[in-house]
Formats: sequence, structure tokens, C-alpha cells
Amino acid sequence: MWRHTQMVVLVALSAAIYAAVLIPFKGFTIIPGFTEVRPANVFPFVFGLLFGPAGAWGAAIGNLIGDFFGTLGPGSIAGFIGNFFLGFLPYKMWGSFFRRGENMEQNVNSGKKLAIYIAITILASVVCAIWIAWFNDLIGFVPFAALASIITVNNAIAGIVLGPILLLVLYPRVKRWGLLWTEIMAPDEVPDSRYQRLGNLLMWVGGLGALIVGLVLGLGLYEQGFAAAGFAPGSGGATGVAIGLALIPFLVLIVIASFLLGGREQVEAAEEEMATDTGTTR
Amino acid sequence: MEYASWGEEDLRIVVPAVSIKDLAYTYRGQKEPALDGVSLDVAEGEFVVVMGHSGAGKSTLCTSLNGLIPHFFRGRMQGEVRIEGRSTREGKVGEFAKDVGLVFQDFEAQLFSTNVALEVAFGPENFQVEREEMVRRVESVLSQVRLEGFEDRQPATLSGGQKQRLAIASVLAMEPRILCLDEPTTDLDPVGKLGIFEIAEDLKNRDDVTLIVVEHETEETLDADRIVVLRDGRIAADQPAREVLREVELLEESSVMPLGIARFFREKGVGNEQLPLTPEEGIKEFEARGWRVSPERHRELVEADEGREASYGEPLIEVEGLSHRYPNGVVALEGVDLEVRRGEFLAVLGQNGSGKTTLVKHFNGLLEPTEGSVRVDGEETAKQGIQVLGQRVGYVFQNPDHQIFSDTVFDEVSFGPKVRELREDEVRERVEEALAAVGLGGRGDEDPFGLTKGERQRVAVASVLAVRPEVLILDEPTTGLDYAEQRSMMDLVRHLNEAGSTIIAVTHTMWVVAEYAHRAAVMKDCRMALSGTVREVFVRDEELRDAYLRPPHIVSMGNSLGHTVLSVEELLRVTEGG
Amino acid sequence: MDPFLYLDRDTWVHRLDPRTKMFLLIGAFVLAFLFVNPLYGIGVLAIVLAFGAAAKSLVNLERIWFILLMIAVMTVILWTVFGSGETPLFWFVEREALLYAIGAALRIDIMIVAGMIFLSTTRNEEIATGLVKLGIPYRFAFAVSTALRLVPTIAATGSTIGQAQRSRGLDLESGNIIQRVRKNTPLLIPVFVSTIRSTNVFSMALESKGFGAARERTYFLRLAMGRRDAVVLLVFALVLVTAVALRLMGYGGVEGFSR
Repeated sequence: MWRHTQMVVLVALSAAIYAAVLIPFKGFTIIPGFTEVRPANVFPFVFGLLFGPAGAWGAAIGNLIGDFFGTLGPGSIAGFIGNFFLGFLPYKMWGSFFRRGENMEQNVNSGKKLAIYIAITILASVVCAIWIAWFNDLIGFVPFAALASIITVNNAIAGIVLGPILLLVLYPRVKRWGLLWTEIMAPDEVPDSRYQRLGNLLMWVGGLGALIVGLVLGLGLYEQGFAAAGFAPGSGGATGVAIGLALIPFLVLIVIASFLLGGREQVEAAEEEMATDTGTTR
Repeated sequence: MEYASWGEEDLRIVVPAVSIKDLAYTYRGQKEPALDGVSLDVAEGEFVVVMGHSGAGKSTLCTSLNGLIPHFFRGRMQGEVRIEGRSTREGKVGEFAKDVGLVFQDFEAQLFSTNVALEVAFGPENFQVEREEMVRRVESVLSQVRLEGFEDRQPATLSGGQKQRLAIASVLAMEPRILCLDEPTTDLDPVGKLGIFEIAEDLKNRDDVTLIVVEHETEETLDADRIVVLRDGRIAADQPAREVLREVELLEESSVMPLGIARFFREKGVGNEQLPLTPEEGIKEFEARGWRVSPERHRELVEADEGREASYGEPLIEVEGLSHRYPNGVVALEGVDLEVRRGEFLAVLGQNGSGKTTLVKHFNGLLEPTEGSVRVDGEETAKQGIQVLGQRVGYVFQNPDHQIFSDTVFDEVSFGPKVRELREDEVRERVEEALAAVGLGGRGDEDPFGLTKGERQRVAVASVLAVRPEVLILDEPTTGLDYAEQRSMMDLVRHLNEAGSTIIAVTHTMWVVAEYAHRAAVMKDCRMALSGTVREVFVRDEELRDAYLRPPHIVSMGNSLGHTVLSVEELLRVTEGG
Repeated sequence: MDPFLYLDRDTWVHRLDPRTKMFLLIGAFVLAFLFVNPLYGIGVLAIVLAFGAAAKSLVNLERIWFILLMIAVMTVILWTVFGSGETPLFWFVEREALLYAIGAALRIDIMIVAGMIFLSTTRNEEIATGLVKLGIPYRFAFAVSTALRLVPTIAATGSTIGQAQRSRGLDLESGNIIQRVRKNTPLLIPVFVSTIRSTNVFSMALESKGFGAARERTYFLRLAMGRRDAVVLLVFALVLVTAVALRLMGYGGVEGFSR
């Protein structure tokens, strides 16, 4: 996608918008430095759906730049990866919910599309949270359970409450300006969608699995700490590294799923629509 | 062979720098062509100005010069564009960039680097210029645009005028032989504009640069070699500058503002070929014909002014000793006094940074005084707060795209009333009333983003009117509009004023102030330099110049004749003889 | 308004190659990470602060002290709750958990201060060029660098949009959490539209200046590692090796802590 000037610009603009909107909220936080109450969190979903890969990179870079305003640290790496997935999932998974020939435009204007959007938003929030919380727990910053839940909830709320309205208003404009990723990129630039259903499934398993396992382990150990009387310390045996290792298989699944999800079907659908439009081709 | 005896000079005359033949272009998804058969030759070293209404095809013409059309856009192109003999259909956009430099109107959207020197070096970097050469070019070009010493500055900290000059510099760094500037001064304040005109002057005097400029300000086109007027995608005129400027009727029909002096003499019946164009020429012609200004008729004008002053109501906004300092320590206003009475039409003038916008932002509560007081309807603004004040004082921001967020025009305009929790039928009534007032009645279902800039501006005005404020503040209401749209917008504002609204317009478009405003307040360096009726203020040529403002030519002419007039119509009224 | 932390001073730290500074930053992260025990953590903090003083960057602490404080407080609370140790102090709090919590808070804050020093001494364009020299593809670094340039501008636009909508009556304070989130629509949409609208002009301007015209390009900004860089890197490498050795020998941990 990097060969298209417009896509490069969209990466820069999405990143800049995301970073800029994070500034006012820098000091207004739930777990300061890690997550904040930010309506701006809706943007990665919107960017991902409308700008595809440019949106995913934009979300990642934008979050990193946001860290340049005060909280640059190793957590920024996790933030980069997590926010990348926050934009990546909507971009890739959208098409896998539709059959060939169905309208798969990225505007949330039907009940079915709304349901799909909400589902993807929740899963993307979970995957983003897992990467960030796993990393931060591994290096001993913040316990997994706390961070994972907060990030998931924060992103999901912003995405679900604001996403549909934004997409409804923004989709026609972006389309008119010729900036939808499905209209800029050519089919051969995106992997084909042979295994997309499998990828879809694996992503759910990886994401939800990691969340559940991580929470169980994290909370289970915590409960032991609470029961001060009568329990020998460390009798649970596992330390924080347990969460780190236990989640690795799920993370691997997520990565594999990312490669299996296609995307080409969306570009082909857009091409068909453009051809019938005015008779002009790319 | 005969060709062998031709020198290089002869070849230059034969091959024009730019040669356009029967160019027609339709953008993808549009039914109407943007350009419909344009043929144009520009010789090397010429200075051509292109004028026309919004949508006439000026920008399309510019982008066809360096290959963006046909390679960047998806659409249909017919005809041919040759740059020094080479057709733009062949090759990529990047390849033409060495020969044709294109500067766009939006100065924000063409600067990418985090520092000035890098921005200028960007083009040469793309063409693999050696580093030593790049350093030399950066220095040379920055001094050409009068930005010496700015190498390490961040573009975000520059003023609009400086950014536009930087954009020009970044294009000059590739040493193109043809330079095309698409409306370079539209969003700039007077100082910014002046800077650009000076550079254009320097460039024009260089023989090796062919200059093509799209321009709105008719008064600045006098120096051009040729003027090309576009109308509806076709060329309506292509002649030496002074000849075109004398075609008053043609300019008006093409929605281009004719020169005031020329129009005045035309109305008096003088033939096209003899029309004077500048105030100096105008005065000579005026006296040569034995005309004079009738003091009695001029007195009538002044008395009309006085009558109007007396008719205003009680003071709505009272400003006393107002000073404002921003949290970062910058002083924006110092000791300002002002009174705005009900029914007035006040223009607040000044360049960017003079404090004019800071001043009016106190009126609706966006800013609070750090010293002094601001009272609206007798009460301190600090006590009322922005929610309450928004009901009385409506503020229309300069860029409608900073406000519009709804799916339909109706939803957009109903935002204000809905926030104030009016009943549904009341909301509907207000919206329809507001839309009718701005001439968009019945268009509530339309998509606001699909409207033209002028229409979007009206939607912005309507959405403020829907709250029925007593005072309407307009921030640069005419920026980015062509002449016809500007007239249309200001006629609307005048209409609202006559219907009872008090108007405060922040602007630096002088002819608008002259023809529409009643009173004027001039801001300079955070202080109020002048205030009074427009007539009183516009006679103070020197002080206006100090504030980087210039009255329109027709006003200058009147001043030189000893009687201040504010428009062609006024001068016609007071002239005796002929 | 300049949201960035860069301070234009002339110190030997500023004059280091950005790549050196990146390595130092990562090294600082490792150093902070190694020691869990807050006593050792204080030692690392001292080193970092000394560096910051040499770089004249400590004034930026004024801008981020609030974040540092909040992070420290939250981290201490979280680990005290979620962690467990051998010696109970009061309620459910154990000594080891508290020690670990303080140590964790120190580590995080040290890393952020290190990040702050890096940003205070490295210009945005040096970061971008440094990335390119390290092998990041040009177009990617370009997108990062352009985004950096645009952030102040978009933030200013956002502020204007906020003023415009507040003038129309937008009130972000009232309502429950869902309502308040919803009310951001009149802010988010105009920011998006007014920025994305310029994508095509941006792209045209880029191509008009030859972007993508040739496969290779030259660079105006010259980066060269000098002797100073070599010395600094060497010294720091020694410090790191010493630290790792210490840790492996068993110093710097918190005994009896588990989670």
C-alpha cells in the first residue's frame, strides 16, 4: 500500500489526528500513563474501516506520538502494537462477515452491519488490551487483570457509542473524496480471502481465550493474596511469568489469524461498484 | 538544412513554455466538464494572471500543467498540454516537477517537514540533488522569499503569510522554469498578501521564470503581461492585462470584480478603450474632463451617515479598558474601549495578531478580560458565561467546516435550538425561519458536505441565527468566496442588519467594509488605533497604511479629490459634469 | 502552543547522534527494568537524573510531574493489592508487596523520565532521520515525520472547533458518561473532516515536488557518529554489563514476593 501517495498521506493524517486529540486528555486518566478516558479512542476503528492498512498504521503511530507528549517508555511499544491491532481488526475482519455479492460498504446503515460492527469493535478492543496488558505484566509494570479489563472497556465504549454515528456521517464524504482504501488499492495488493473464515474463527479464539485465561490466572492469584490468614505464601506456585507464558499460544493464534484474514474481497467488491458507476476504470 | 542556421533564441520563440490545445477534462463522478475546450499558449518569461468565478476551472487548469491531470485524478481528458514541447500525457507527475512548480492555495496542506530547511530541501532530495548543492539552494531560495534565517524554525510556528512563502520556496528549490501559483493570497491577511505580491514582483522581473498566477484581487493584476478570464470551463478573454481590465462588462459577467475606477468611468459613459485603471489615472481623467465633486451632494451623504448614527438604539456591548493576556504570557489586547449600539453594523479591521479576533471573542464569553470590563446588555460577561451569552451574541466562525458535523442541513441548523431544549415544533419553526433568512429555504434534507463553500457558510450562519441572537459576529465572512458569492453573502448580512440584527464583522476585505459597514474600528498591535464611521476612518490614509490596510482604489480617488466616498455609486452621486 | 518536549539547548547530549541517544534510551529501560528493589532503583534514578541535568532537560519535569505522580500512586496501590508477600504489615498489605510496588513505581517513572530526556534533546527530524538510517523504510519514516509536523496544527484546529461549538451551546460537562461521550461528536467529526479533506491536496503537493519520482533519494540532514558517540556508548555499555552482572549475582531483587 505504501506505493500510493494517498495511502502514505492517510497514515500521516490519521496518526496526527489521533495524537492531536489525545493531547487534551493527557492528564485526565484512569490508570495514568496507561489508559485514559478518551472519546478519541473511536478513531482507530473508524480509520481502520475507512482507510484499511493506512488506518491501522495511523492508529499505531498516532498512539506512539501521543506518548511523545509525556509518557514515552517501554509501554509505548505495547501501545504501538495494541493500537495497530485496534485498527487492523476492523479493516481485515469486516469483509469476512459477508458473502460474495452482498453489499459490504463500510457504512453502518443496517441492523446486520451494526451487529457486525459491535462484534468487531469488542474483539478489537480485547485484542488491543491483551497485547498491552500482557507486555506490561511481563515486565512487571501493571497486573494483567486490571489493565486488560480497563483498556477493553474504554476502547469498546468509545467505539460502540461513537463509531456508528461517525461512520454514518463520514463514509459518504470519504467516498466522495476518493479516499476509501478499497478504492485506492488494487486487489493484488491484499491477500486473498481463501482462509478468511478460518482466520475469523482463530482471531476470536485467540482474543477471547487470552482474555479469559489471563483474567483467571491474574484474579486467581490475587485472591490468594487476599486470604491472608492460614495460606502459605506462594502456595499457588505460579508467579507473574505464568501469565506471560500462558498467553503466548493465544498471541500466536492472533498473529496467524492476521495472515489468514483476506481483504481482497472488499477491494474486488469496490471495484465492481466503481465499474458500474461511470464506466471509467482506474 | 535551414534549421542549422537557427540560433537558440529563435528556437525559444518557436516552442512556447506552455502550450494547451483544446483541453477538456471531466472529473470522475461528475457530469459537467471542469474544462471545456481551452487553448492557451504561454511564452517563456511571461506573467499571466488567470481569473474567474468559483468552479470556472482555474484549479483544474493549474493541475493540468504538471501532469496531476491526467495522472493523479481519475477522469477523462481530451486535448493536449505540452510543457516545453513535452506532452503531459507521457511520464509521471514527479518528472514534470523539475520543470513546473505548482503552489496550492491551502498553505497548511503542502508543508510536511518539521523544520523549514528540510521543507525546502524536500523537493531536491526527491531528485537526488547533492547535499552541498541543496544547502546552497536552501539559503538562496529562503532569501528570495524573505525568510532568511528561518532554517531551524518549525512550520507550525509561522504565520499564514510566512507559510505560503515557505511553500513557494520549497517549490523554487527545484529550480523550475515555470511557476504556477493557485490563489496564493486567498486566506492571508494584508501583510501576508503584501509579502506574496512582493515575491511575485521579484519573480516576474526574472527573465528565466514563466509565471502563471490565479488571482482574485483585481487591483493587484495591473502588473501582469496578460490576463486570461475563465468562465464555465472556457476562456472568456485572453488579452494584455490592461485591455482585459477595461472590459468592465465582461468581468462582471464572469463574476470577477472589475476595478472600481474603470467601472466608475464606464458608468459615466466613457468608452472602453479610454478607461483609466488606477486612482492616479482616474484623477487625471476626472480633472481633464472638468468634472468636480459637488460639496452639497457630498454633504447629503454625510448627513445620511449622521441620521443613521442617531437611529441606533441603546448600547448593547460596552468595553472599557479591556486588556487580555493569554496564559502563556502573550499580551493580546491593551486598554481597548468600544461601544456597540443596537442596530449598528460594525467592522473590526486589522491584520492577524492585531487583536481583532481576541477582542470579539470577549463578546460571547469565549474569553474573559484579564483587566477592564466587557458588558453585554448591562451585565458583565464574566458573570453570564458562554451558555447564556450564546443566546444573545451569535458567533459565526470563519471556516464552516469547523462546525458542520450533521448528516442533513436541518440537523445542523437545529443543533443550537435543540441544545437549548426547545420543543420540537419550536425547533422546526426556528430552523425553517433561519434557512429562509439565508436563502436556503426548503433545503433542509440536503447533505451539508455536498454544498459549495458559499452555501456551507450560509448553513453556518443559519445555525447561529436559529437561536435568534441580538448580535451576530461574523469572522471573515468573505474568505474563499468569489466576487459574486461575496456580494451575495454581504447582501444577506445587510438584510439581516436592516431586519434588526446588530452586526459585528471581523474582516480585512476593504471594499466590503466600505460598501456595507456603518462603523469601523481598526486594531493595531493590540490597541485600537482608529474608530468612527467608515467614512471618518477611511479618510485617514496614513494611519490605515500603518496598520497595513489600504482603502479601495475608489475611496483613495475620492480622498484625493477631497471628499471621501465609499463606493462607485457614491462617487457617481456626488460628481457633477459629464 | 508546542506540545513537544524538545528544548533547544547546546549540550554534549544534544550533539550526540540520534541513534546513540536511541540506544541510550533503550539501555536506560533495561537498566531500570533490571532492579526490582527500590533501593537499587534509587541508584538508577540518580544516574538518569544526572544525565538529565547534563542535558539541561530537567525543567521539563514541570510538565510531566503530575503524570509521574499519578502513575506512581496507582502502581503502588495496584501491586500492593494484587501482590503477596511473607511479612504482613497491616490489613492485607505485606511488606514485600509494598517494597515491590514502590520498586515498580520507581522503574516506570525512571523509564518515563529517560524518555522525556530523550525527547528533550532530540529534534523530531532527527528522530525521523535516525529511524531511516537504522533501516526503517523511507515512506514509513516520512509518515511519522509528517504526522509530527501536523500535530500542533490539528490540535490548534481542534481548539478552534471546540470554541466554535461551545459558542453554539455545546456543553461537555453535563450528563452521564454515555451522554458525555456522545457529545464529542460535534468535535470529532469536524476535526476528521477538515483534516482528511486536505488529503488530496497533500498528495498532489507531494507528487508535485517529485515524491516517488526516483527510486533513491538524497538526504539533507547529515548524521554522523563521532568520537563522542563511541565514548558514550562504550561507557554506557560498561554500566549495563555491570548492572546485569549484579542482578545475576542476586542483588536488587525483593525476596519473598509473589503475584
